[in-house]
Amino acid sequence: MAFLEIHNLTKDFGGLRANNNISFTVEQDELVGLIGPNGAGKTTLFNCISGLHTITSGQIIFDGEDITALKAHEVAQRGLARTFQVYVAAGDLTVIENVMVGCFMKARSRSRAKAHALEILKNMAIEDLSDYLVSELPVAAQKRVTMATAIGSAPKLLLLDEVAAGLNPNEIEGIMASIRHIHEQMGITIILIEHVMELVMKISHRLIVLDYGEKIAEGDPETISKSPLVIKAYLGERYAKEHNLS
Amino acid sequence: MEAIKNALDFSDFPRVDLMVAGAVSIALVVFPIFPHSSFAMSTMIQFLMFSLYGMGWNTIGGYGGQVDLGKAQYVGIGAYTTAVMLIRWDIPFWFSMPIGVCLSVGWSFIIGYPLFRLKGHYFAIATIATSLVLKDIFEVWGFVGAARGLEISPIEFPPPDFMRLIFREDIYYFYVILVFFFIGILYINWFRKSRLGFQLRSIKDNEDVARSLGINVHWAKIKTYAIATAFVSMVGSFHACYVRSIEPEDTMSLDISIMIALMAMLGGAGSLWGPIIGAGILIPLKSYLKDWLGAQAGLVGIDLILYAIIIMLISAFEPRGVWGIVEKIRRRKRN
Repeated sequence: MAFLEIHNLTKDFGGLRANNNISFTVEQDELVGLIGPNGAGKTTLFNCISGLHTITSGQIIFDGEDITALKAHEVAQRGLARTFQVYVAAGDLTVIENVMVGCFMKARSRSRAKAHALEILKNMAIEDLSDYLVSELPVAAQKRVTMATAIGSAPKLLLLDEVAAGLNPNEIEGIMASIRHIHEQMGITIILIEHVMELVMKISHRLIVLDYGEKIAEGDPETISKSPLVIKAYLGERYAKEHNLS
Repeated sequence: MEAIKNALDFSDFPRVDLMVAGAVSIALVVFPIFPHSSFAMSTMIQFLMFSLYGMGWNTIGGYGGQVDLGKAQYVGIGAYTTAVMLIRWDIPFWFSMPIGVCLSVGWSFIIGYPLFRLKGHYFAIATIATSLVLKDIFEVWGFVGAARGLEISPIEFPPPDFMRLIFREDIYYFYVILVFFFIGILYINWFRKSRLGFQLRSIKDNEDVARSLGINVHWAKIKTYAIATAFVSMVGSFHACYVRSIEPEDTMSLDISIMIALMAMLGGAGSLWGPIIGAGILIPLKSYLKDWLGAQAGLVGIDLILYAIIIMLISAFEPRGVWGIVEKIRRRKRN
């Protein structure tokens, strides 16, 4: 039995089918990339897995347990954390307080939550930001804080939604190092949605490609980057025809 | 143990805050020793009561961002429980007050469960509605004196009586509510650092993010709503003994609900000092304006106009109130 199993997942929004019959599995300690053009249904799929959306049909099994019908907070309590793509922290929480919210999922006392949060901030090398408001920070640092917050809940599986979007090449290097660190040092299985190809191709063990809500390809980065179906999805029908790809 | 330590620990505030807070505390404690008018005294008691109402409101409304405009119903439940129990069965304040809190909290769970399925303005409107419905019920309910209300007669319950909280001089009421006030501050100081407090601030920020961090958003809101309710109900019980004559119109009206929310919002929703600052500005302003302009110049309703102006100013310029302005200046200095 795989660590995460998605069986025939379908999600409809009224008449719009956002995810159509998607199936895949993720093994423990894998780092899987989820790619696809805009509107392919990647974030919807994350929302379905993490329980924010109720799925129309299908089944989700995480760590041997059927989590299909669970609510978002119950899914999180079972060790499945995520970050959000557009998360502008407008609130009045500082960096360490943000991370503490994550830590409070397990910790009952404030002192324990704070100690754990500090440890994570150190581990992610952002402890010097701990007293800033999240909204005061540049985007790259904000993304790190959202990752640190998710890690605070001590997840077994972490879903990262476009943590490199809007960053410059230098910052992307930094984020990539952070992701590797989370994966290798902390031993957390990761699925990441990413548009930044140099990141996702370099870092992922395996890629899953979505287009128009369906899984069109799956395989190691090498194979995927040469797959005609994927190129067509990204670059369009005409490009593929002109280059005799299909 | 750690809870008590956290409640007493104010070390994350800048020293200026603590010095001001200490000075205000001392001023409050010694205030009755100095010569003062009975009007000033009653204004002081009002200030402490509304600070406490505001502190309660601030848990769900400030830290949690759920604008609750129906707190008057719990003032009513608290006040009526104490008055009815005293008049009908001679149960003293110190017993009826906790019973009132239980009844209020029970009621808050019953209506909180469906209410928190709503969000934003819809939630605010629904809280107003529940409060008004309860007021209407009390207005026709003979058992609690209907629209005439209840009166605690000083002949039947001669002062001074600490157990029943019946005194002739206001100074005793002042010290009782002052003790409540300090306990309230300690409680909120603990609350804002507690697990629930953090969960609530996360909910205010973004509910989906909160959910994905394992927070049961609906339940966290209901629990906090009950805490806010307990505060309000306690002070409501005190109110019954203090004014000794209660009726639905002045304990459960929409005015009271709005005032409670306004205290916290003006001072700074979601901060420890906010409700106290708000009450410290609004209550004296209200009573003196009413006295000068209302009674002497015949401008009735000037306080209502004032509320409206304040609401508009807060929402237009600084949603986080007076305290928001203070923090903004501090951040600017620091950066």
